[in-house]
Amino acid sequence: MHQKPYILPFIFGILALICLTIAPYLVFMYAGIEKEMGLAQKIFYYHVPSAFSMFLGSFLCFIFSIFYLWKRDKNCDLWAACSAEVSLLFGTLVLITGAIWAKPIWGAWWVWDAQLTLTLILWLILAAYHMLHTYLEDAVQSARFRAVLGIIGFLNVPFIHYATKLWRTHHPEVVRGEEISLPPDMKIVFFFCVITFFALFFALLFKRVSLAKAQNELESLKAEI
Amino acid sequence: MPLFFTQTLAILQKDLKTEWRTRERLSAMAFFAFLIVIIFNFIYEPGSPIIKTVAPGIFWIATAFAGLLGLSRSFAIEKQNDCLMGLRLTPADPGAIFLGKMLGNTLTMLILQALILPILVIFLNLQIAQALPHLILPILLGTLGLATIGTLFSAMSLNTRLREAFLPLLTLPIFIPALLAAIESFRAVLEGSEITDWLVLSSAFVALYIAACLLLFEYVLED
Repeated sequence: MHQKPYILPFIFGILALICLTIAPYLVFMYAGIEKEMGLAQKIFYYHVPSAFSMFLGSFLCFIFSIFYLWKRDKNCDLWAACSAEVSLLFGTLVLITGAIWAKPIWGAWWVWDAQLTLTLILWLILAAYHMLHTYLEDAVQSARFRAVLGIIGFLNVPFIHYATKLWRTHHPEVVRGEEISLPPDMKIVFFFCVITFFALFFALLFKRVSLAKAQNELESLKAEI
Repeated sequence: MPLFFTQTLAILQKDLKTEWRTRERLSAMAFFAFLIVIIFNFIYEPGSPIIKTVAPGIFWIATAFAGLLGLSRSFAIEKQNDCLMGLRLTPADPGAIFLGKMLGNTLTMLILQALILPILVIFLNLQIAQALPHLILPILLGTLGLATIGTLFSAMSLNTRLREAFLPLLTLPIFIPALLAAIESFRAVLEGSEITDWLVLSSAFVALYIAACLLLFEYVLED
Protein backbone atom coordinates (compact mmCIF):
# COMPACT_ATOMS: atom_id res chain seq x y z
CA MET A 1 0.00 0.00 0.00
CA HIS A 2 2.84 2.37 0.85
CA GLN A 3 4.93 1.25 -2.09
CA LYS A 4 4.44 4.44 -4.07
CA PRO A 5 5.47 7.10 -1.58
CA TYR A 6 8.62 5.20 -0.66
CA ILE A 7 9.88 4.50 -4.16
CA LEU A 8 9.93 8.14 -5.27
CA PRO A 9 12.31 9.46 -2.60
CA PHE A 10 14.54 6.49 -3.35
CA ILE A 11 14.72 7.16 -7.10
CA PHE A 12 15.30 10.88 -6.67
CA GLY A 13 17.73 10.26 -3.83
CA ILE A 14 19.88 8.00 -6.02
CA LEU A 15 19.66 10.52 -8.87
CA ALA A 16 20.69 13.37 -6.57
CA LEU A 17 23.54 11.29 -5.17
CA ILE A 18 24.91 10.49 -8.62
CA CYS A 19 24.55 14.08 -9.78
CA LEU A 20 26.10 15.47 -6.61
CA THR A 21 29.18 13.27 -7.11
CA ILE A 22 29.62 14.37 -10.71
CA ALA A 23 28.83 18.05 -10.12
CA PRO A 24 32.00 19.00 -8.17
CA TYR A 25 34.14 17.39 -10.87
CA LEU A 26 32.38 19.39 -13.60
CA VAL A 27 32.50 22.58 -11.53
CA PHE A 28 36.22 22.41 -10.77
CA MET A 29 37.68 20.46 -13.70
CA TYR A 30 35.49 21.07 -16.70
CA ALA A 31 34.26 24.65 -16.34
CA GLY A 32 36.86 27.35 -16.92
CA ILE A 33 37.97 29.72 -14.21
CA GLU A 34 36.27 33.06 -14.48
CA LYS A 35 38.74 35.85 -15.32
CA GLU A 36 37.70 38.52 -12.86
CA MET A 37 36.25 36.62 -9.92
CA GLY A 38 38.57 33.61 -10.06
CA LEU A 39 37.72 30.59 -7.95
CA ALA A 40 35.06 32.44 -5.95
CA GLN A 41 32.82 32.30 -9.00
CA LYS A 42 32.55 28.51 -8.59
CA ILE A 43 30.03 28.95 -5.80
CA PHE A 44 27.66 30.35 -8.40
CA TYR A 45 27.00 26.76 -9.58
CA TYR A 46 25.55 25.92 -6.19
CA HIS A 47 24.15 29.30 -5.25
CA VAL A 48 21.85 29.93 -8.22
CA PRO A 49 20.42 26.38 -8.47
CA SER A 50 19.64 26.59 -4.73
CA ALA A 51 17.79 29.84 -5.40
CA PHE A 52 15.82 28.14 -8.20
CA SER A 53 14.92 25.30 -5.85
CA MET A 54 13.83 27.79 -3.23
CA PHE A 55 11.50 29.56 -5.65
CA LEU A 56 10.20 26.24 -6.94
CA GLY A 57 9.43 25.22 -3.36
CA SER A 58 7.55 28.42 -2.57
CA PHE A 59 5.63 28.15 -5.83
CA LEU A 60 4.64 24.56 -5.04
CA CYS A 61 3.56 25.69 -1.58
CA PHE A 62 1.37 28.39 -3.18
CA ILE A 63 -0.26 25.94 -5.60
CA PHE A 64 -0.87 23.27 -2.95
CA SER A 65 -2.27 25.92 -0.58
CA ILE A 66 -4.84 26.96 -3.19
CA PHE A 67 -5.73 23.32 -3.81
CA TYR A 68 -6.10 22.71 -0.10
CA LEU A 69 -8.60 25.53 0.38
CA TRP A 70 -10.43 24.43 -2.74
CA LYS A 71 -10.55 20.64 -2.30
CA ARG A 72 -9.92 20.36 1.46
CA ASP A 73 -7.66 17.43 0.79
CA LYS A 74 -5.36 16.81 3.76
CA ASN A 75 -2.63 15.64 1.42
CA CYS A 76 -2.49 19.04 -0.28
CA ASP A 77 -1.78 20.68 3.07
CA LEU A 78 0.91 18.11 3.74
CA TRP A 79 2.57 18.80 0.41
CA ALA A 80 2.33 22.56 0.87
CA ALA A 81 3.90 22.42 4.33
CA CYS A 82 6.67 20.09 3.17
CA SER A 83 7.53 22.17 0.10
CA ALA A 84 7.73 25.27 2.28
CA GLU A 85 10.05 23.48 4.67
CA VAL A 86 12.39 22.22 1.95
CA SER A 87 12.21 25.67 0.36
CA LEU A 88 13.29 27.22 3.67
CA LEU A 89 16.30 24.88 3.71
CA PHE A 90 17.34 25.90 0.19
CA GLY A 91 16.75 29.55 1.07
CA THR A 92 19.18 29.19 3.95
CA LEU A 93 21.70 27.66 1.52
CA VAL A 94 21.21 30.58 -0.87
CA LEU A 95 21.85 33.14 1.86
CA ILE A 96 24.92 31.33 3.20
CA THR A 97 26.52 30.67 -0.20
CA GLY A 98 25.64 34.23 -1.22
CA ALA A 99 27.45 35.64 1.78
CA ILE A 100 30.53 33.45 1.14
CA TRP A 101 30.61 34.64 -2.46
CA ALA A 102 30.00 38.29 -1.60
CA LYS A 103 32.90 38.56 0.86
CA PRO A 104 35.76 38.26 -1.69
CA ILE A 105 33.83 39.81 -4.61
CA TRP A 106 31.99 42.72 -3.03
CA GLY A 107 34.19 43.01 0.04
CA ALA A 108 31.34 42.51 2.49
CA TRP A 109 29.35 39.56 3.74
CA TRP A 110 26.12 41.30 3.01
CA VAL A 111 25.22 43.94 0.44
CA TRP A 112 21.68 45.25 0.12
CA ASP A 113 21.42 44.18 -3.48
CA ALA A 114 17.91 43.82 -4.92
CA GLN A 115 18.13 40.06 -5.46
CA LEU A 116 19.69 39.41 -2.06
CA THR A 117 17.00 41.44 -0.35
CA LEU A 118 14.29 39.58 -2.25
CA THR A 119 15.73 36.24 -1.12
CA LEU A 120 16.02 37.43 2.46
CA ILE A 121 12.41 38.65 2.64
CA LEU A 122 11.12 35.45 1.07
CA TRP A 123 13.18 33.52 3.58
CA LEU A 124 11.56 35.55 6.39
CA ILE A 125 8.08 34.73 5.06
CA LEU A 126 8.96 31.04 4.86
CA ALA A 127 10.28 31.20 8.42
CA ALA A 128 7.04 32.85 9.57
CA TYR A 129 5.10 30.10 7.77
CA HIS A 130 7.11 27.48 9.58
CA MET A 131 6.55 29.22 12.94
CA LEU A 132 2.82 29.51 12.38
CA HIS A 133 2.78 25.75 11.91
CA THR A 134 4.52 25.17 15.23
CA TYR A 135 2.45 27.64 17.23
CA LEU A 136 -0.98 26.36 16.27
CA GLU A 137 -2.64 23.55 18.15
CA ASP A 138 -5.78 22.61 16.27
CA ALA A 139 -4.70 20.53 13.26
CA VAL A 140 -7.52 21.47 10.89
CA GLN A 141 -7.33 25.16 11.73
CA SER A 142 -3.56 25.03 11.43
CA ALA A 143 -3.87 23.62 7.91
CA ARG A 144 -6.33 26.35 6.91
CA PHE A 145 -4.24 29.19 8.32
CA ARG A 146 -1.12 27.81 6.75
CA ALA A 147 -2.81 27.68 3.36
CA VAL A 148 -3.93 31.31 3.75
CA LEU A 149 -0.39 32.38 4.67
CA GLY A 150 1.04 30.29 1.82
CA ILE A 151 -1.12 32.18 -0.67
CA ILE A 152 -0.66 35.64 0.89
CA GLY A 153 3.08 35.08 1.19
CA PHE A 154 3.62 34.00 -2.39
CA LEU A 155 1.53 36.89 -3.74
CA ASN A 156 4.09 39.12 -2.09
CA VAL A 157 6.96 38.00 -4.35
CA PRO A 158 6.25 40.39 -7.27
CA PHE A 159 5.90 43.29 -4.82
CA ILE A 160 9.19 42.50 -3.10
CA HIS A 161 10.84 42.15 -6.49
CA TYR A 162 9.55 45.50 -7.72
CA ALA A 163 10.14 47.30 -4.41
CA THR A 164 13.73 46.12 -3.93
CA LYS A 165 14.54 47.02 -7.53
CA LEU A 166 13.14 50.52 -7.13
CA TRP A 167 14.79 50.88 -3.77
CA ARG A 168 18.25 49.94 -4.98
CA THR A 169 18.11 52.13 -8.06
CA HIS A 170 17.32 55.00 -5.72
CA HIS A 171 20.67 54.46 -4.06
CA PRO A 172 23.73 55.31 -6.14
CA GLU A 173 26.15 52.76 -4.65
CA VAL A 174 24.29 49.85 -6.21
CA VAL A 175 26.46 46.84 -7.02
CA ARG A 176 25.40 44.65 -9.89
CA GLY A 177 25.07 40.95 -9.32
CA GLU A 178 25.66 37.87 -11.40
CA GLU A 179 26.83 37.90 -14.99
CA ILE A 180 24.09 37.23 -17.52
CA SER A 181 25.85 35.66 -20.50
CA LEU A 182 27.89 32.56 -19.78
CA PRO A 183 30.47 30.88 -22.02
CA PRO A 184 29.29 27.45 -23.30
CA ASP A 185 31.33 25.31 -20.88
CA MET A 186 30.02 27.21 -17.88
CA LYS A 187 26.50 27.04 -19.27
CA ILE A 188 26.60 23.22 -19.49
CA VAL A 189 27.91 22.90 -15.95
CA PHE A 190 25.35 25.40 -14.74
CA PHE A 191 22.45 23.47 -16.28
CA PHE A 192 23.80 20.25 -14.87
CA CYS A 193 23.89 21.83 -11.43
CA VAL A 194 20.31 23.05 -11.84
CA ILE A 195 19.22 19.47 -12.59
CA THR A 196 21.28 18.24 -9.64
CA PHE A 197 19.63 20.65 -7.24
CA PHE A 198 16.17 19.94 -8.57
CA ALA A 199 16.82 16.23 -8.06
CA LEU A 200 18.00 16.95 -4.53
CA PHE A 201 14.98 19.18 -3.96
CA PHE A 202 12.52 16.48 -5.02
CA ALA A 203 14.40 13.78 -3.13
CA LEU A 204 14.13 15.82 0.06
CA LEU A 205 10.54 16.80 -0.66
CA PHE A 206 9.35 13.22 -1.25
CA LYS A 207 11.28 12.03 1.77
CA ARG A 208 9.77 14.78 3.92
CA VAL A 209 6.26 13.99 2.68
CA SER A 210 6.58 10.29 3.41
CA LEU A 211 7.92 11.16 6.85
CA ALA A 212 4.98 13.47 7.49
CA LYS A 213 2.57 10.76 6.34
CA ALA A 214 4.21 8.26 8.67
CA GLN A 215 3.90 10.79 11.50
CA ASN A 216 0.21 11.27 10.77
CA GLU A 217 -0.33 7.55 10.72
CA LEU A 218 1.44 7.19 14.04
CA GLU A 219 -0.75 9.93 15.50
CA SER A 220 -3.93 8.22 14.37
CA LEU A 221 -2.73 4.86 15.64
CA LYS A 222 -1.96 6.44 18.99
CA ALA A 223 -5.43 7.97 19.02
CA GLU A 224 -6.97 4.55 18.39
CA ILE A 225 -5.23 3.09 21.42
CA MET B 1 -27.10 50.41 -1.22
CA PRO B 2 -25.98 46.82 -1.83
CA LEU B 3 -26.27 44.55 1.18
CA PHE B 4 -22.52 43.94 1.28
CA PHE B 5 -21.77 47.61 1.95
CA THR B 6 -24.57 47.95 4.49
CA GLN B 7 -23.01 45.06 6.39
CA THR B 8 -19.54 46.57 6.08
CA LEU B 9 -20.78 49.89 7.41
CA ALA B 10 -22.56 48.19 10.31
CA ILE B 11 -19.34 46.44 11.37
CA LEU B 12 -17.35 49.64 10.94
CA GLN B 13 -19.87 51.59 12.99
CA LYS B 14 -19.82 48.98 15.75
CA ASP B 15 -16.01 49.01 15.93
CA LEU B 16 -15.73 52.77 15.95
CA LYS B 17 -18.44 53.07 18.58
CA THR B 18 -16.80 50.58 20.96
CA GLU B 19 -13.47 52.29 20.39
CA TRP B 20 -14.92 55.76 20.96
CA ARG B 21 -16.61 54.77 24.20
CA THR B 22 -13.36 53.70 25.86
CA ARG B 23 -10.65 55.16 23.61
CA GLU B 24 -8.54 52.46 25.27
CA ARG B 25 -6.87 51.23 22.14
CA LEU B 26 -6.14 54.62 20.63
CA SER B 27 -4.61 56.07 23.80
CA ALA B 28 -2.32 53.05 24.23
CA MET B 29 -1.30 53.26 20.57
CA ALA B 30 -0.65 57.00 20.74
CA PHE B 31 1.45 56.69 23.88
CA PHE B 32 3.46 53.83 22.38
CA ALA B 33 4.05 55.79 19.16
CA PHE B 34 5.14 58.81 21.20
CA LEU B 35 7.61 56.61 23.10
CA ILE B 36 9.02 55.23 19.85
CA VAL B 37 9.62 58.73 18.47
CA ILE B 38 11.33 59.75 21.71
CA ILE B 39 13.47 56.61 21.92
CA PHE B 40 14.61 56.93 18.33
CA ASN B 41 15.98 60.38 19.19
CA PHE B 42 18.60 58.83 21.42
CA ILE B 43 20.17 56.93 18.53
CA TYR B 44 21.52 60.10 16.99
CA GLU B 45 23.30 63.18 18.23
CA PRO B 46 20.74 65.90 18.99
CA GLY B 47 20.41 68.30 16.09
CA SER B 48 22.36 66.01 13.76
CA PRO B 49 21.41 66.53 10.08
CA ILE B 50 20.92 62.77 9.69
CA ILE B 51 17.64 63.09 11.60
CA LYS B 52 16.04 64.67 8.55
CA THR B 53 16.78 61.63 6.41
CA VAL B 54 15.61 59.12 8.99
CA ALA B 55 12.47 61.02 10.00
CA PRO B 56 10.26 59.19 7.43
CA GLY B 57 11.59 55.92 8.78
CA ILE B 58 10.84 56.92 12.37
CA PHE B 59 7.35 58.00 11.39
CA TRP B 60 6.61 54.66 9.72
CA ILE B 61 8.24 52.52 12.40
CA ALA B 62 6.13 54.32 14.99
CA THR B 63 3.01 53.81 12.86
CA ALA B 64 3.75 50.16 12.15
CA PHE B 65 4.61 49.16 15.73
CA ALA B 66 1.88 51.17 17.43
CA GLY B 67 -0.48 50.09 14.64
CA LEU B 68 0.32 46.45 15.32
CA LEU B 69 -0.46 47.04 18.98
CA GLY B 70 -3.90 48.28 18.00
CA LEU B 71 -4.41 45.64 15.31
CA SER B 72 -3.70 42.86 17.78
CA ARG B 73 -6.64 44.08 19.88
CA SER B 74 -8.90 44.24 16.85
CA PHE B 75 -9.96 40.61 17.16
CA ALA B 76 -8.87 40.07 20.75
CA ILE B 77 -11.83 42.21 21.88
CA GLU B 78 -14.13 39.89 19.97
CA LYS B 79 -12.90 36.98 22.06
CA GLN B 80 -14.58 38.40 25.17
CA ASN B 81 -18.04 36.98 25.72
CA ASP B 82 -17.57 34.94 22.55
CA CYS B 83 -18.40 37.92 20.36
CA LEU B 84 -16.55 36.31 17.49
CA MET B 85 -19.08 33.51 17.50
CA GLY B 86 -21.81 36.12 17.40
CA LEU B 87 -20.18 37.78 14.41
CA ARG B 88 -19.90 34.44 12.70
CA LEU B 89 -23.57 33.72 13.30
CA THR B 90 -24.75 36.98 11.73
CA PRO B 91 -25.85 36.64 8.12
CA ALA B 92 -23.05 39.08 7.20
CA ASP B 93 -20.65 38.07 4.45
CA PRO B 94 -17.16 37.23 5.85
CA GLY B 95 -15.75 39.69 3.34
CA ALA B 96 -17.97 42.42 4.80
CA ILE B 97 -16.77 41.61 8.32
CA PHE B 98 -13.21 41.84 7.09
CA LEU B 99 -13.76 45.10 5.23
CA GLY B 100 -15.56 46.73 8.17
CA LYS B 101 -12.81 45.73 10.59
CA MET B 102 -10.12 46.78 8.16
CA LEU B 103 -11.65 50.23 7.59
CA GLY B 104 -12.04 50.69 11.35
CA ASN B 105 -8.36 49.85 11.85
CA THR B 106 -7.36 52.18 9.01
CA LEU B 107 -9.28 55.07 10.56
CA THR B 108 -7.75 54.42 13.98
CA MET B 109 -4.28 54.39 12.47
CA LEU B 110 -4.93 57.57 10.50
CA ILE B 111 -5.93 59.34 13.71
CA LEU B 112 -2.75 57.97 15.28
CA GLN B 113 -0.68 59.35 12.41
CA ALA B 114 -2.34 62.74 12.74
CA LEU B 115 -1.02 62.70 16.31
CA ILE B 116 2.50 61.43 15.47
CA LEU B 117 3.17 63.91 12.69
CA PRO B 118 3.06 67.03 14.92
CA ILE B 119 5.21 65.24 17.50
CA LEU B 120 7.74 64.51 14.77
CA VAL B 121 7.65 68.12 13.61
CA ILE B 122 8.28 69.39 17.13
CA PHE B 123 10.90 66.93 18.31
CA LEU B 124 12.85 66.48 15.08
CA ASN B 125 12.40 70.06 13.97
CA LEU B 126 11.00 68.89 10.66
CA GLN B 127 9.60 71.26 8.02
CA ILE B 128 6.68 69.58 6.33
CA ALA B 129 4.11 72.36 5.91
CA GLN B 130 4.58 72.63 2.13
CA ALA B 131 4.93 68.90 1.53
CA LEU B 132 1.85 68.02 3.55
CA PRO B 133 -0.70 67.82 0.67
CA HIS B 134 1.63 65.47 -1.25
CA LEU B 135 2.10 63.28 1.79
CA ILE B 136 -1.57 62.40 2.18
CA LEU B 137 -1.84 59.84 -0.62
CA PRO B 138 1.30 57.79 0.16
CA ILE B 139 0.42 57.76 3.87
CA LEU B 140 -3.14 56.67 3.14
CA LEU B 141 -1.97 53.85 0.85
CA GLY B 142 0.65 52.64 3.31
CA THR B 143 -1.87 52.62 6.14
CA LEU B 144 -4.43 50.74 4.06
CA GLY B 145 -1.76 48.15 3.22
CA LEU B 146 -0.84 47.65 6.87
CA ALA B 147 -4.48 47.52 7.98
CA THR B 148 -5.37 44.96 5.29
CA ILE B 149 -2.77 42.33 6.10
CA GLY B 150 -2.80 43.24 9.80
CA THR B 151 -6.54 42.65 10.10
CA LEU B 152 -6.31 39.27 8.37
CA PHE B 153 -3.41 38.11 10.54
CA SER B 154 -4.99 39.58 13.66
CA ALA B 155 -7.80 37.05 13.33
CA MET B 156 -5.26 34.30 12.68
CA SER B 157 -2.74 35.05 15.41
CA LEU B 158 -5.48 35.01 18.03
CA ASN B 159 -5.65 31.23 17.75
CA THR B 160 -1.93 30.61 18.15
CA ARG B 161 -0.37 29.72 21.48
CA LEU B 162 1.27 33.15 21.64
CA ARG B 163 -2.03 34.96 20.95
CA GLU B 164 -1.63 38.60 19.92
CA ALA B 165 2.14 38.44 20.39
CA PHE B 166 2.33 36.40 17.20
CA LEU B 167 0.84 39.12 15.00
CA PRO B 168 4.05 41.07 14.19
CA LEU B 169 5.83 37.86 13.15
CA LEU B 170 3.24 37.28 10.45
CA THR B 171 2.55 40.86 9.42
CA LEU B 172 5.98 42.44 9.20
CA PRO B 173 7.59 40.17 6.55
CA ILE B 174 4.60 40.61 4.25
CA PHE B 175 4.39 44.33 4.94
CA ILE B 176 8.04 45.03 3.98
CA PRO B 177 7.44 46.04 0.30
CA ALA B 178 4.62 48.42 1.24
CA LEU B 179 6.66 49.76 4.16
CA LEU B 180 9.57 50.39 1.82
CA ALA B 181 7.25 52.22 -0.56
CA ALA B 182 5.77 54.28 2.28
CA ILE B 183 9.14 55.32 3.72
CA GLU B 184 10.75 56.03 0.36
CA SER B 185 7.83 58.09 -0.92
CA PHE B 186 7.74 60.10 2.32
CA ARG B 187 11.44 60.85 1.89
CA ALA B 188 11.01 61.64 -1.81
CA VAL B 189 8.23 64.12 -1.01
CA LEU B 190 10.46 65.88 1.53
CA GLU B 191 13.23 66.05 -1.07
CA GLY B 192 10.79 67.16 -3.74
CA SER B 193 11.42 64.23 -6.10
CA GLU B 194 9.12 61.96 -8.10
CA ILE B 195 7.05 59.31 -6.27
CA THR B 196 4.84 57.89 -9.04
CA ASP B 197 6.63 54.51 -9.09
CA TRP B 198 6.18 54.07 -5.36
CA LEU B 199 2.53 55.08 -5.56
CA VAL B 200 1.92 52.49 -8.29
CA LEU B 201 3.56 49.87 -6.12
CA SER B 202 1.58 50.68 -3.00
CA SER B 203 -1.76 50.98 -4.80
CA ALA B 204 -1.18 47.61 -6.48
CA PHE B 205 -0.26 46.17 -3.08
CA VAL B 206 -3.43 47.52 -1.47
CA ALA B 207 -5.69 46.44 -4.36
CA LEU B 208 -4.33 42.91 -4.59
CA TYR B 209 -4.29 42.27 -0.87
CA ILE B 210 -7.78 43.66 -0.27
CA ALA B 211 -9.05 41.35 -3.02
CA ALA B 212 -7.10 38.36 -1.64
CA CYS B 213 -8.24 39.00 1.94
CA LEU B 214 -11.89 39.39 0.91
CA LEU B 215 -11.66 35.92 -0.60
CA LEU B 216 -9.55 34.30 2.09
CA PHE B 217 -11.14 35.76 5.21
CA GLU B 218 -13.89 33.17 5.07
CA TYR B 219 -11.31 30.45 5.75
CA VAL B 220 -9.88 32.31 8.70
CA LEU B 221 -13.25 32.84 10.38
CA GLU B 222 -14.40 29.26 9.87
CA ASP B 223 -14.45 27.15 12.99
